[in-house]
Amino acid sequence: MRLRDQFRFVRQNMKKNRTRVFMTILATAMGCAFLIVLASVGFGLQKSVVKEMTEQRVITQIDVHGQETNEKGGFRQLTDKDVKIFEKVKDVKAVTRRKQLQQESTYTIGNYQEPTQTFVANFPSEVKAGFELSKGKLPKSKDEVVVGYNFLLNLASKDAGDDMYDERGQVKAEYRYTGKLLGEKIGLTVTQFKDGKQVEKTIPLTVVGISKKPTKDWAQDSSVFISDEMLKEIEAFTGTPKGFMLDQNGEKPQGLEAGYDTYDEVKIYAKDMEAVQSISDQLKEEKYATYSVVNELKEVNMVFMIAKAGLIFIGTIAILIASIGIYNTMTMAVTERAPDIGIMKAIGANPKTIKRIFLLESSYIGLIGALIGTAVSYVISYTVNFAIPLIIKQAFGKETEINLIFSDIPLILPIICVVICYGVTIISGLRPAQRATKVDVLKAMRREV
Amino acid sequence: MITIKNLSHDFVIGKKGRQTIIPVLRDISFTVEKGEIVTIVGRSGSGKSTLLNLVSGFIHPKEGEIWIGGEKVSELNEAKFADFRIKNLGFIFQSFQLIPSMTAFQNVELPLILKGVNENVRKQQTEEMLKKVGLLDYQDHYPGELSGGQQQRVSIARALIVNPPLILADEPTGSLDSETEEELLQFIKELNRDLGITFLIITHDDQVADIGNRKIELLDGRIVEGVLV
Ligand SMILES: Nc1ncnc2c1ncn2[C@@H]1O[C@H](COP(=O)(O)OP(=O)(O)O)[C@@H](O)[C@H]1O
Ligand SMILES: [Mg+2]
Repeated sequence: MRLRDQFRFVRQNMKKNRTRVFMTILATAMGCAFLIVLASVGFGLQKSVVKEMTEQRVITQIDVHGQETNEKGGFRQLTDKDVKIFEKVKDVKAVTRRKQLQQESTYTIGNYQEPTQTFVANFPSEVKAGFELSKGKLPKSKDEVVVGYNFLLNLASKDAGDDMYDERGQVKAEYRYTGKLLGEKIGLTVTQFKDGKQVEKTIPLTVVGISKKPTKDWAQDSSVFISDEMLKEIEAFTGTPKGFMLDQNGEKPQGLEAGYDTYDEVKIYAKDMEAVQSISDQLKEEKYATYSVVNELKEVNMVFMIAKAGLIFIGTIAILIASIGIYNTMTMAVTERAPDIGIMKAIGANPKTIKRIFLLESSYIGLIGALIGTAVSYVISYTVNFAIPLIIKQAFGKETEINLIFSDIPLILPIICVVICYGVTIISGLRPAQRATKVDVLKAMRREV
Repeated sequence: MITIKNLSHDFVIGKKGRQTIIPVLRDISFTVEKGEIVTIVGRSGSGKSTLLNLVSGFIHPKEGEIWIGGEKVSELNEAKFADFRIKNLGFIFQSFQLIPSMTAFQNVELPLILKGVNENVRKQQTEEMLKKVGLLDYQDHYPGELSGGQQQRVSIARALIVNPPLILADEPTGSLDSETEEELLQFIKELNRDLGITFLIITHDDQVADIGNRKIELLDGRIVEGVLV
């Protein structure tokens, strides 16, 4: 029997009991839609979390915090020697290293001031890693500095009171410094306790460059980059590494001296995302403590993998329940058509053909159900993603801060669903189909079935 | 065409432990030559239908051999017998056995569909066959919309459509009035004469039995000696 004729047979048979077939398809479609929508929440949340993670950080970035020196958790800060090693590792694009001034430094220009953090950066490596200026040039001499893009916005009048910040945490325009900054002199004030007394020193610096606006809206960069020689001068004043502030008694904590010429922030930039893994593995072998989004992503993805598998499993139960309907429908179809089956067998229909026709009918029901279910779940998914932010807005009176995806249906999900549905359909259609082949010709012709 | 050797059959009825064996056929042997019309007669319950069902492959014999056209069909499994039937056998039943949800055309076309014949060829052959049995105008009628004689002609058309060398008929005139019975017998003779189709016909009607070249009489599951002509 030709496939085309088998299909025609199946369609004719299905037309004989439209309502029953429709109900079975409906149940299957509901099961499939349930599975897809349920699992899509897992996919959606994973997408949101991953997006959130990768947006906050550069994906190819590996933070190196230091090196383990012994089994007991001894730790060593990184130096130029380590940087040299990192730069030689395969697929490393750049190694940025920063020293941070170990006290809050205040910068002043005229009647305006700003407490902020001060760094010493290695600009060639920073540039390689993507650092850019929006104005000016990179510093060359000892007293030249580059300031972060947001530095200017936070430079506030000394007269400003507690109300100087707006609700977004930024200095209100009325208190903000409006003058020229590039090429101007600003004073850096550093402090230290000497003989129980607080001593201050103000160092004049020239702003030669302003960094590029951070690509992320929420990111703020107000830091100031001074030269290494300038840090040496500050160290000479404070008598401690990187301007570490002593307490009133002037006591030096243990191991403080080791802090000279060490880096506080070392970041390795890999050539691409794939390289991150191998670089971190190599560093781990050398007992360096590293952190990268890629590694964290791996763990997060693992957790979501398990969650999604669980959701798909629950969804599969819905399809299994629907399959009981398919089993029922097919059993009834076989019973109803037993006389016809008997006649067909009598004139020479092969049992295999009869089995195939019934399996075709049940898979037809299953596949149409799966397709309708898929279509419906896309509609539900879009509706949910559209409606839930609105509902949240209604309930809390403000928009959701992060752009949450509640439901996401990647192509693999309908494919999984169709495969599961098809498999379940075949299994539930197998017994009725088998029964159809067993119809007794003589009984059928005597209308005893 | 048909050779039957020492065929015996019995039915087992009742549940396990309290089974009763009903012997139906005892040591039947006969041959039907190509181009013959052979009739099987006998009282009701003598085992005629059982004999024909064994030849048709609807039941499997307990003992003995059945050969049709050189093939030992008593050894075929269900699927193989099905393929054999569609190629070699035509059937005419007392109660026609048409599929009620199919039109006359579709009923006649069915064996060709099962054989996997292409649609255009099917349509042409089916129409030709309906014309031959004089029912072309009734092709879209369902069996319920046809008279008994017309239904039997549809079932004959269905049997003939695959050009079988052998047609098996169990009481073909049993549901027909005498006028249509006469028509049908003429038609069978015609088919035998013009196409050389072999017929094995069961009947308890003397008029029907007379069209055969030979008569085999069954009595309590055995062939009555001396009746073979
Ligand atoms: N399926 C069956 N199960 C048990 N006994 C049967 C079955 N079919 C027929 N018989 C018995 O076999 C005998 C012969 O029946 P059958 O071949 O139909 O006779 P006929 O067609 O000559 O009237 C009868 O006694 C009948 O009761
Ligand atoms: Mg009988």
